[in-house]
Amino acid sequence: MAAAIQTTKLTKSYNSRSGKVNVVDHLDLHVEEGEIFGFLGPNGAGKTTTIKMLLGIIYPSFGEGYVLGKEIGDMDVHRLISYVPERPYYYEHMTGLELLKFYGSLFGINDPALFERLLEKVNLHRDKDKTISQYSKGMQQRIGLAQSLLNDPKLLFLDEPTGGLDPIAHREIRDLILSFRDEGRTVFISSHELSEVELICNRVAIINKGVIARQGKLTDLLRGGRIEVTVDGFESAEAFLKALPLKDTNVRTLPSGFLLDMPELEDTSSVIDSIRGAKGKILSIVPRKKRLEDLFVETVSSKQPSKTITVEESAGANQ
Amino acid sequence: MRPILSIASTTVGEAIRRRVLLIILLIGVLFLAVAPGLGVLSARSETTVLRGMMLGIIQLTSAVIAIVLTVYMLPNEIERRTIYTILSKPVQRWQFLVGKYLGAVSALAIMMCLMSVVMVLMYWYQQHAPISEIANLLKAPMMYFVQMSLLAAVAVMFSTFVSPLVNFFLSGGLYLVGSLFNPFFETLSSNNNTPAFTKTVAKFINLVLPNFANYNVQNPIINPQQTIGNETQYFINVTVYGVLYILGLLVVGILIFDRREV
Ligand SMILES: Nc1ncnc2c1ncn2[C@@H]1O[C@H](COP(=O)(O)OP(=O)(O)OP(=O)(O)O)[C@@H](O)[C@H]1O
Ligand SMILES: [Mg+2]
Repeated sequence: MAAAIQTTKLTKSYNSRSGKVNVVDHLDLHVEEGEIFGFLGPNGAGKTTTIKMLLGIIYPSFGEGYVLGKEIGDMDVHRLISYVPERPYYYEHMTGLELLKFYGSLFGINDPALFERLLEKVNLHRDKDKTISQYSKGMQQRIGLAQSLLNDPKLLFLDEPTGGLDPIAHREIRDLILSFRDEGRTVFISSHELSEVELICNRVAIINKGVIARQGKLTDLLRGGRIEVTVDGFESAEAFLKALPLKDTNVRTLPSGFLLDMPELEDTSSVIDSIRGAKGKILSIVPRKKRLEDLFVETVSSKQPSKTITVEESAGANQ
Repeated sequence: MRPILSIASTTVGEAIRRRVLLIILLIGVLFLAVAPGLGVLSARSETTVLRGMMLGIIQLTSAVIAIVLTVYMLPNEIERRTIYTILSKPVQRWQFLVGKYLGAVSALAIMMCLMSVVMVLMYWYQQHAPISEIANLLKAPMMYFVQMSLLAAVAVMFSTFVSPLVNFFLSGGLYLVGSLFNPFFETLSSNNNTPAFTKTVAKFINLVLPNFANYNVQNPIINPQQTIGNETQYFINVTVYGVLYILGLLVVGILIFDRREV
């Protein structure tokens, strides 16, 4: 598959009081066409800076990057991409429709039918004659998404598209983003709304202090969940452990039985068979999936963020 | 061309809604409206005083508007991140800057037209002057418009690298210096008694400094040596000078803006 975004050692440094700081540090990003890519990181990690470099709004200090096969800064690529900045602000005196006309004119597009269609898509067709100053935050974010579709982009950059929105607005935005993917567009989302990202992204990169700490398929990165099995009918925790064919396990004594905490990758049915064989009674089996939040916290709070760990397709190679 | 015009017309739309500008404009118009009343105080030559006063009000108000309009233009775009959405479209930075400048100048034209209309109405009401005299009166605001366009270009050029407050004083200062001292340097450089070195320096300053004084035709106190033979020719000359100077300033502004991080 072709790469929608590919960067090599992309770096941006700023001078600060304590000398030169690499705000984005030798970034190797790889985003494939047609995927929703989550670009995650804590505040100040360098997400917006990276996006601005990819858009040619600021210039890299070092390294290179390609967007849709063209070197960054190439104006031709601007016809094929679009961008919704974080906490966007649009000219307040314009109505929703005027805003679309304005941004359309920057592409040389003046297609009233298209404007109507986009307004309908983001559910603002009833509010198209209100000025932006009368729009709520959610409506502003939606008109932003509408303008981002004017040029039928192949690749969209959305910087914190759900920041500061209520749960209903969240869902509307999320559905819109999913529809972009279904239309065959690549979506690059910067965010720290992890539950959101977990729902919609295929692949993610976690950036911390300008360095990519994790990058890969979400399913691969989140491998390594655990399973909790509650049983009864054993004399003691030791007796229960002895009946199990496992090594890396952990048994706790509960008021009513025992709790086994085992890795997800083990063969669950053989464990169940051996419990049954030892006349144990299974009370419950609860899978505990690793969540993106766990991965994020684990990644961001780890002491050496400079080591890049990439997980790509290879099962079990995580951590 | 299309993006430039869109950006320009959006800039006009924003400018004519900016409260500060409207307040300044309103003050100007109010002064114009009461000017005839004040003119009566001077019995000497009522008409000349009234003219001078009205034109002075228009010039001062326009200069303040030109500066306030332009010093915040770029910083606001960056602060509110509206510039990012625009630059992520197929719009070059020079197109953006030129669009902004043309928008500012158009907004300025609208506001100056409005003031001129008020002036004409008041003048006609007060003096019952013939049409030819009123048409003559309108020549000055046309010169001022070229002057203010030049001032706006100065401020836009500075706005690509200094903060609004610094820009306010820089552009305002340059306007004053260019209006008041340019004739002085001109005299110095053309006077045969001037030492060669001083003459060169004066010539240089005269060349580099935007000559705002060119456009103060109604003010013989500031421009004592100015006698205009062929009025049309003079108007064309100073307009061409203004346009060339504006182009130069915009080129400098674009070169700085192109390299700048936004
Ligand atoms: N023009 C600049 N000059 C100096 N430092 C800058 C500049 N722009 C950004 N930075 C610094 O770069 C770092 C990364 O900023 P960036 O906006 O990319 O973070 P982010 O990941 O988008 O954060 P957030 O989640 O808060 O939006 C911050 O520490 C910021 O202070
Ligand atoms: Mg950011």
